[in-house]
Amino acid sequence: MLKRVLAPAFAPVHARLAAARADTWGRLPGPLHPIVWFGLALLVLVVPWFDDTWMRMFFLVGLYATLGLGLNVVVGMAGLLDLGFVAFFAVGAYTVAIFGSPVSPHIDAELNYWWLVAIAVGFGALAGILLGLPVLPLRGDYLAIVTLGFGEIIRIAALNMSDWTNGSSGLFELPRPGVGYRSIDDVQSFYVLVVIAAFLVWFVTSRLRDSRVGRAWEAIREDEDVAQGMGLNTTKYKLMAFATGASCAALGGAIYAPFIDFVAPQSFTLLVSINVLALVIIGGMGSTQGVVAGALILIGAPELLQFSETADFLANFGWLRSVINTLIDGLSAVTRLDLSTLPPAKEWGERLALYRFIVFGLLLVLVMVLRPAGLFGSRRRSIIFAEDEDKSDEVGA
Amino acid sequence: MIAPLFLTGAEFWADQTVNGLTTGSIYALIALGYTMVYGVLQLINFAHGEVFMIGAFAGYGVLVGMGGDDLTGVMVALAIVLALLAAAVASAATSVTIERIAYRPLRNAPRLAPLISAIGVSVFLSHLVDDGFLGGQSKFYPLIFPNGGISLGPLSVSYLQMFLMGSSLLMMAALYWVVQRTGAGRAIRAVAESRTNASLMGIDVNRAIVITFVLGAIMAGFAGVLYGLFLSSIRGSMGFIPGVKAFTAAVLGGIGSIPGAVVGGYGLGLAETLGREVLNEIPGVNLPNEWKDVVAFSVLVLILIFRPTGIFKQKETKRA
Repeated sequence: MLKRVLAPAFAPVHARLAAARADTWGRLPGPLHPIVWFGLALLVLVVPWFDDTWMRMFFLVGLYATLGLGLNVVVGMAGLLDLGFVAFFAVGAYTVAIFGSPVSPHIDAELNYWWLVAIAVGFGALAGILLGLPVLPLRGDYLAIVTLGFGEIIRIAALNMSDWTNGSSGLFELPRPGVGYRSIDDVQSFYVLVVIAAFLVWFVTSRLRDSRVGRAWEAIREDEDVAQGMGLNTTKYKLMAFATGASCAALGGAIYAPFIDFVAPQSFTLLVSINVLALVIIGGMGSTQGVVAGALILIGAPELLQFSETADFLANFGWLRSVINTLIDGLSAVTRLDLSTLPPAKEWGERLALYRFIVFGLLLVLVMVLRPAGLFGSRRRSIIFAEDEDKSDEVGA
Repeated sequence: MIAPLFLTGAEFWADQTVNGLTTGSIYALIALGYTMVYGVLQLINFAHGEVFMIGAFAGYGVLVGMGGDDLTGVMVALAIVLALLAAAVASAATSVTIERIAYRPLRNAPRLAPLISAIGVSVFLSHLVDDGFLGGQSKFYPLIFPNGGISLGPLSVSYLQMFLMGSSLLMMAALYWVVQRTGAGRAIRAVAESRTNASLMGIDVNRAIVITFVLGAIMAGFAGVLYGLFLSSIRGSMGFIPGVKAFTAAVLGGIGSIPGAVVGGYGLGLAETLGREVLNEIPGVNLPNEWKDVVAFSVLVLILIFRPTGIFKQKETKRA
């Protein structure tokens, strides 16, 4: 419907695209399809319609979409399982905080926020390379466990190196992002900032995917031995994937830091890594729309459940609670087990939001077993997985 | 750097060595499960730490059910034996269920798939216990084990530590016997050599894999109860750090090798306990307890760089 309305407006563009499709390479998706611009404009236009609570949710969705698109390069495109993605997110946030916060005792660089973002992205890439160098020449399994350890080490280091990080009291009064003489402070502006970042990450990673580098990643993901046999420097390309993902995470961290204006080790736990991994896998590895949809559902839904509006709405279902609790009480009396009853309906949302990781874990297993391409996976990826199922008689390493 | 070591005295270092061996035996027991599963499936069983956790809770249930802190005399011994048995059964049941639901359907899928599924199981179980059942609270093992110990010169060992080290050695010996001397063990070793060839020789590959998971889980369940008796506090996420450490131990010993896992476990236990203290002897350095984890991971990364096959070279570790 939308397409039919918009078609005349974009007719010349479509004609050009059709001409480009005539040759083989033109069939690759163009980087700046008009629909994308339209979608981006739509994302920014929603701003005035929602209040701060909603904007906070949208900001977090955008932030996790940025992180997810970064991890997508590592896991989805290059097939490397990174379980310590939070480490690079932390590197980004702490770079901005240590250089920018007056609380940090050692460095007071007084740099503009945008410079700090650039430095953070650079440090992120550097951290990715430093961590990847010893492990990437080895089999992928080791990478998973080493990154897992690294994620924890970064947190422990941040907690204990109080000279730099102020320990668990954290760093605050961070520099605000500013345009001209105006510095932005409200959730709405941060949302626009994160949408731009997500778009940037999407643009860079999708161009990389369709380039020589992206094809190398795909070759490595499908069969590393064959890729090496074809003359690919697999270590180099794996490092590139790792550094790309890490710098996206650092970019996310650099935006997150001034948003909450409090950078402390508690924010950088394993759960962040699991969250990002879950949205990439459940949404659909290797697919942009999958990652964005994954972020919308896996990050948006638990936030939505904690809204006071949701609690008010659920409060209408107090009668359901008394029905169920009567049943539970009856069951308790019969079985002599001390079963716990439901909390007031107002608290159901919060309770459910608390259970999110139980659901994520379950979904990870179900998606892998039943729908390995993810819920919104790309068609190409589904075909690849379908092919893999055909060679089910092969046994061995 | 050697000279200042003597400043703290022999008792201190003897204590630290005993502590290292105690944690080492728990790592070794868990590492056995990682190494055996890796041997037959080339899969890092990320959910193994949670199997260990389930064992700890099963043992807790038995100890509390039998009277908890009120237990005395012979009943303490009986309760601990029953707790160990319950833990073994619960862990084995969990592990077999996980294998059936999360790993077996993915046995021929791309290598990333079972790894991700394993992480899913791990996240699910630890959060189910923590958020679902316990509401983020820890549970505490009743402190029923007899206090006291023996000392020999600078060396002093508590009864609990002796029990912990002795029983785990016994378990490892039993496992070694099963794997080396029984038909099931032979089947496991054959499948580890080559799954295809083993099945051609008439070995039921699925059965051998299930037995591998059961044996590993029994060890992990035991380790769970020992951990609870020793450190008391247990919770849903308790399996994470010991799990990663035990994997490190398995790599240190040479993944796939059973003696390697044992040596790696003790080695890592000693390395992280003594390593931090040795670093603390450097003037001006005062590392908190958490740096044990940092030492352990540094060990992992160093092994991967310099000797990816571990101490006991089992199979050629596939490079690149």
